[in-house]
Amino acid sequence: MELGLDVREIGSRAVVDVKGEIDVYTAPKLREKLIELVSEGSYDVVVNLEGVDFLDSTGLGVLVGALKRVKAHDGSLSLVCTQEKILKIFKITGLTKVFPIHDSLDAATAAQGD
Amino acid sequence: MSLVELAIPSGSVYVGVARLAVASLAREAGLGEEAVDDLKIAVSEACANAVLSNQKVGASSPVDIGFERSQSAVIVSVADRGPVYEPTPADDFDTGSTEQRFAMSLELLSSLVDDCLIVPRDDGGMRVSLTVELP
Repeated sequence: MELGLDVREIGSRAVVDVKGEIDVYTAPKLREKLIELVSEGSYDVVVNLEGVDFLDSTGLGVLVGALKRVKAHDGSLSLVCTQEKILKIFKITGLTKVFPIHDSLDAATAAQGD
Repeated sequence: MSLVELAIPSGSVYVGVARLAVASLAREAGLGEEAVDDLKIAVSEACANAVLSNQKVGASSPVDIGFERSQSAVIVSVADRGPVYEPTPADDFDTGSTEQRFAMSLELLSSLVDDCLIVPRDDGGMRVSLTVELP
């Protein structure tokens, strides 16, 4: 099971396109990538979850951890997600109030003050 | 007696195998796609908790997964040999720690299936039983 992680820059933001399944096995790879970005000075990060087929609490834990890291640098972490089955996980855990969740990458990169 | 029993080594790489096996059995038993998706997450949570729980005490015994089907429901059990814990979700989501992930996991387990029972096993470890009613 592989997790695809592609990073690109759009404007002042680092966009991480995630593809595949985020679970207890693959979540550490996502965590490493996000830690690497922050350590390289990317404090405004967009995680694009449109290519994600599966997400559980291990992935949520990584995203919350990354949010704390960027906030420590006055940065932001927003998500792109339109898939109902993934959004449901954020709703159940109350994280829709914690993360700005956008319905397109354009909306996420255009948003101010996330 | 479980209809299907599966023991996976206590390693995170095997959780996906358990998830796929249960999804396929649940679909075959007659659950709809949305219920299958929900059950996949619940099984993944239970297995991740079991693997992490085993790791915490250095237990290398397998995680036992059982799949049963009654006339009205599908029941999946996941059992480990890790420490016995009190399955109460924390209401403080502000620590970003292992405990926070665990609290979110318990939220998901209790929300995504019709019934989730988490009890200590007689011979050590915990057993999670997930029940999903058939349509």
